[in-house]
Amino acid sequence: MTEQASAPPAPQAPPAVELRDISKDFGSNRALDHVNLSIGQGEVVGLVGQNGSGKSTLVKILSGVHVPEPGGRLFVSGEEVALPLAPGQASEIGLSFVYQNLALAPGLTVLENLTFGQRIAGGMRSWAPINWLGEHRRAAAVLDRYDVRLNLDQRTGELAPVDQARLAIVRAAEDLRRYRTRSGYKHSVLVLDEPTVFLPEEDVEHLFDVIRTIVADGAGVLFISHDLVAIRSITDRVVVLRDGRVVADVPAGGYDEQALVDHIVGTPARPAGSSAAEEARPVETALAPKEPAGAGRAPKQGENVVVEHLAYERLADLSFEIGAGEILGMAGLIGSGAEELPYLLFGAHQASGGTLRLGGKTLDLGGLSPQRTVRERIALVPADRQAFGLSEHLTLWENIVMLVEDEYYRGGVFHRGELVALAREAVDRFLIRPPLPHAVTATFSGGNQQKALLAKWLIARPQLLLLHEPTQGVDVGARRDIYRFVKSAAALDQTAVLWVTTDFGELAEVCDRVIVLSEGRPVTTLTGEELSDDAITAAALRQIREVR
Amino acid sequence: MSAPHAPVETGREQEQAEQARPSVVRRLGLQRFAILIVFAAMVAAFGADIPATFLSIGNLSNILGGQAVLFILVMAVILPTIMGDFVDLSLGSSLGLSAMTLAVLNVQHGTNVVLACLAGIGAALVVGLVNVFFVVYFDNDPFIVTLGVMTIVQGIIYIISGNNSVGIVSGHLSDWIFNNSFLQIPLEFYYGLAIFLVVWYVLSFTPVGQKALVIGQSREVARLTGVRVNRQRSWAFILAAGIAGIAGIAYAGTNGTVDPTAGSSLILPAYAAVFLGATAIKPGRINALGALIAVYFLAAGTAGLELLGTANYIQQIFYGAALVAAVTIPKANRDRILKKKRSA
Repeated sequence: MTEQASAPPAPQAPPAVELRDISKDFGSNRALDHVNLSIGQGEVVGLVGQNGSGKSTLVKILSGVHVPEPGGRLFVSGEEVALPLAPGQASEIGLSFVYQNLALAPGLTVLENLTFGQRIAGGMRSWAPINWLGEHRRAAAVLDRYDVRLNLDQRTGELAPVDQARLAIVRAAEDLRRYRTRSGYKHSVLVLDEPTVFLPEEDVEHLFDVIRTIVADGAGVLFISHDLVAIRSITDRVVVLRDGRVVADVPAGGYDEQALVDHIVGTPARPAGSSAAEEARPVETALAPKEPAGAGRAPKQGENVVVEHLAYERLADLSFEIGAGEILGMAGLIGSGAEELPYLLFGAHQASGGTLRLGGKTLDLGGLSPQRTVRERIALVPADRQAFGLSEHLTLWENIVMLVEDEYYRGGVFHRGELVALAREAVDRFLIRPPLPHAVTATFSGGNQQKALLAKWLIARPQLLLLHEPTQGVDVGARRDIYRFVKSAAALDQTAVLWVTTDFGELAEVCDRVIVLSEGRPVTTLTGEELSDDAITAAALRQIREVR
Repeated sequence: MSAPHAPVETGREQEQAEQARPSVVRRLGLQRFAILIVFAAMVAAFGADIPATFLSIGNLSNILGGQAVLFILVMAVILPTIMGDFVDLSLGSSLGLSAMTLAVLNVQHGTNVVLACLAGIGAALVVGLVNVFFVVYFDNDPFIVTLGVMTIVQGIIYIISGNNSVGIVSGHLSDWIFNNSFLQIPLEFYYGLAIFLVVWYVLSFTPVGQKALVIGQSREVARLTGVRVNRQRSWAFILAAGIAGIAGIAYAGTNGTVDPTAGSSLILPAYAAVFLGATAIKPGRINALGALIAVYFLAAGTAGLELLGTANYIQQIFYGAALVAAVTIPKANRDRILKKKRSA
C-alpha cells in the first residue's frame, strides 16, 4: 500500500495503529473515556495504570472482544478500519496479542505450538499434507532469527517460564511477519499484556532481547505492565491510564518515576470510609443450632493466628500475625505472591516450609492437607468458585451444609430435614435469592452463589477465614452483603480473616490492616488513616522499584 | 435482613418463587417417574397381549430370579461410578474370576464350598486393590487402567480354567442360591435385594453417600471441603470388586458350570442399567433405587419380547435403544424444539 494524502500531518510514516476517541461504558460505569493512543512503526509504547483503569478494556477493544461506543475510530497505517472489529479480524489488520497466560498448549511440542497458527485455515487447505521435516527446518530458522535456543521436540510444558514466554512472543511475531509478507503492508503491532509478571529479573532481559529483534523488524509493540522498571528499560514512550482517561503520554527518559506513580495513582482526594452509613447492624452468621454456646468451646474469645517462616516459590520467610476478629488484607500486584497465601494456609497447595499457629496448635505448612485445616476450622473461599468452591450440579442446601452434615447423622439416621432447615435459615440470613434451597446451585446468579459459598464456611464457625477475590464478578449489592457478613463474623465470632484481592479499593474499605507484598516480601503495612486505595497502589508500585 | 431492603426483596422473591415452582414440579415430577410410567405401560401392553404367560407367577419368578446376578453386579458398578470414576471395566472379569476360582477349587481340588466361595470373593478383592493402586495411587485414568486389568484378569481366568468350562459346582451351593425359593422366587433375588438395601442406605441416607456425590460431581470442591477423596474412592473400588465377587458366586450357583467368559457379557448391560437408572428418581444423579428399577425394567422388557418369540438380537436392540432414549428425551424439551422450528 502507499501512504495516503489524507493521513494526519506526519512527515514520516503514519502510526502503525492509532485509536481516536475510544469510549466504553459498562452500564452506567464509564471504563474508557475518549482515549487516544498511537503506536508508531518500530516503536515500543508502555501502557500503565491501576487495576480497573481501563487497560484491559482497551486491549479487548483492539482484539474485538468489546464493542466501543460510537464515535471511536481506528486507523491502521493511516487507513481507517471500521469499529467494532469482528472476532479474528485483528489478525487480518496486523495485530497480534500475547496475554499473561501465553495460550500455549503444554502437552504439544515447541514445534507444534510454533506452527499451530498456520493450521487454522479451513477448507481444502486443512487436508493438505504437513511436511514435518521442512517445518522443522523452517522453525529452527525462525528461532535462530530471534536468537532463541529451544529444543523443537521438547514438550512446551517442560520449558522454563521465560522460554515459554519467549516462545509465545516469537510465535506472535512470526504471525505478524507472515502478515506483512502476505499483505505487503509495512505495519504490524504486537500487544504484550503483562508478559513479565511471573519472570525473575535476569530472565526479563532475555525477553527484551526478543522484543528488540521484533522492533528492529519494523513492528510496533504495545507493552502493558505494572512493572515500572521494565517499562523504563524497554519502552520509547509511556501512556498512563487512570479511570479510563489518558492522563499522561510521555517519552521514555522524559519523566521521573515519582511523577509516573503520581500519574498512575492520581491525587489522593477520595474520602475514606464512605460506607460507614451502610454498616447497619451485624449479621449473626454462626447458625449451628445443634451447638449452643458453651458447648466445649467459648465462641467469643478467638485467638491470634500466627504465620511464621512461610516459604513457597517467591515467598521467602514470610511471617505475619492476624488478630482474633481482625480483617487483614494482603495486597500485591499479580506475581507478588499474595494470591498464593490463602491456598498455602489452607493446605490446598503445599508450601515448602513454615508454620501456622492457631488455637494453641502449631501446624506445619509443609505438610498441611485440607482435611487437617478443615478440622482446625480454617475456611477457604477460593477465587474460582466453580472449580473449587461449590458443586454446581448439586442443590443449594447440599452445598451449604457440606461441612456440618456429619453432625446430623445420629443413631444410623441422617436427619436431612434438619439440614434443609439449617440451610433455609442460612439462605435467610445470607440473603440468598431466590430463597429456594432445593434449586440446583448453577441456577443462581454469581452473587448469590458467592453468598452461599460464604454461608457454607461461616456456619461451620471458622477460626481463620481465608478469602481470595471474594467479590470477583459479583454485583454491587451482593458485594455490600459479603463485606457485612465477613465483618460480622470477625466481630461476633472473633474469626481471624485474611482477605486477598487485587481490588485495592476493596481492601481499603473492609480491612483493619493491609500488608503490601512485593516479590514475595512484605514492604509496607498500612492501618487507620493511612489506609487508602491510592496508598496501597502507590506502595505496591513503588516497592517494585526499590526492591530491584 | 436489613430493614430498608425487606419489602422490596420479599416482593421479588415471591415473584421468582412463583415463576420457578411450576417448572420445577413439571420437570422433576415427570422426569423422575418417566421410567416407572413407561414400565407400567409396557407391563400393561405385554399383559394385554400375552396375559397367560407374561402375567404368570412363573414369569415373575423368572424375571426377578433370572436377573439376580446382573442386579448384584449393578450394585457393584454403581460405587465407583457415583464417585466420578466413570468406568470400572474390570468388574465383569472380577465376577468371572470369583466364579472360576470357586469352581476350580471346589470341583477340581475338592475344597469345601464355603472356603471356595471366600477364596473367590478374595480373588475379586485383589483385583479391586490392583485398581486402587493404579487408578487412585498413581492417579491414572480409570478407563485405561481397568481396560488393562480386565484383559489381564481374563487371561488369568483362561490359565486357571485351562480354557474350559468348569462344573458342576456343589449342589448345596445351587440349592442355597437358585433352587430353593421363598415366595416362589429364588433366594438369590433376596441376596441381591439385601445388597441393594445396604448400598441404597449408605448412598442415600448417610453423610458418606452425600460425600460420594460431591466427589463425583466436583472432586476438587470435595477435596477443599476436607473430604478424604482418595480414601473414599479406594473403598469404592475395593467394595465394588467384592460385590462383583459375590455376583460371581451367584453366577456359579445359578448356572452350575462356569464358563471362562462368564462376566464379560454382563458388564455392559450393568452399565446400561446404571446410566438408565440415573434418569429416574433423582434425575441426573446415579442412584441405587433408579438402578434397581432400570434393571427390572430391562429384564421385564426382555422377558416380554422373549415370550412374544422374538429373536435374541431384538432384545439387545431394546437394551441399547432404551438407554439412548432415556438420556436423550429429557433434553429434547419443548423450548428447544420450538426454537428450532422458529429458526427453520
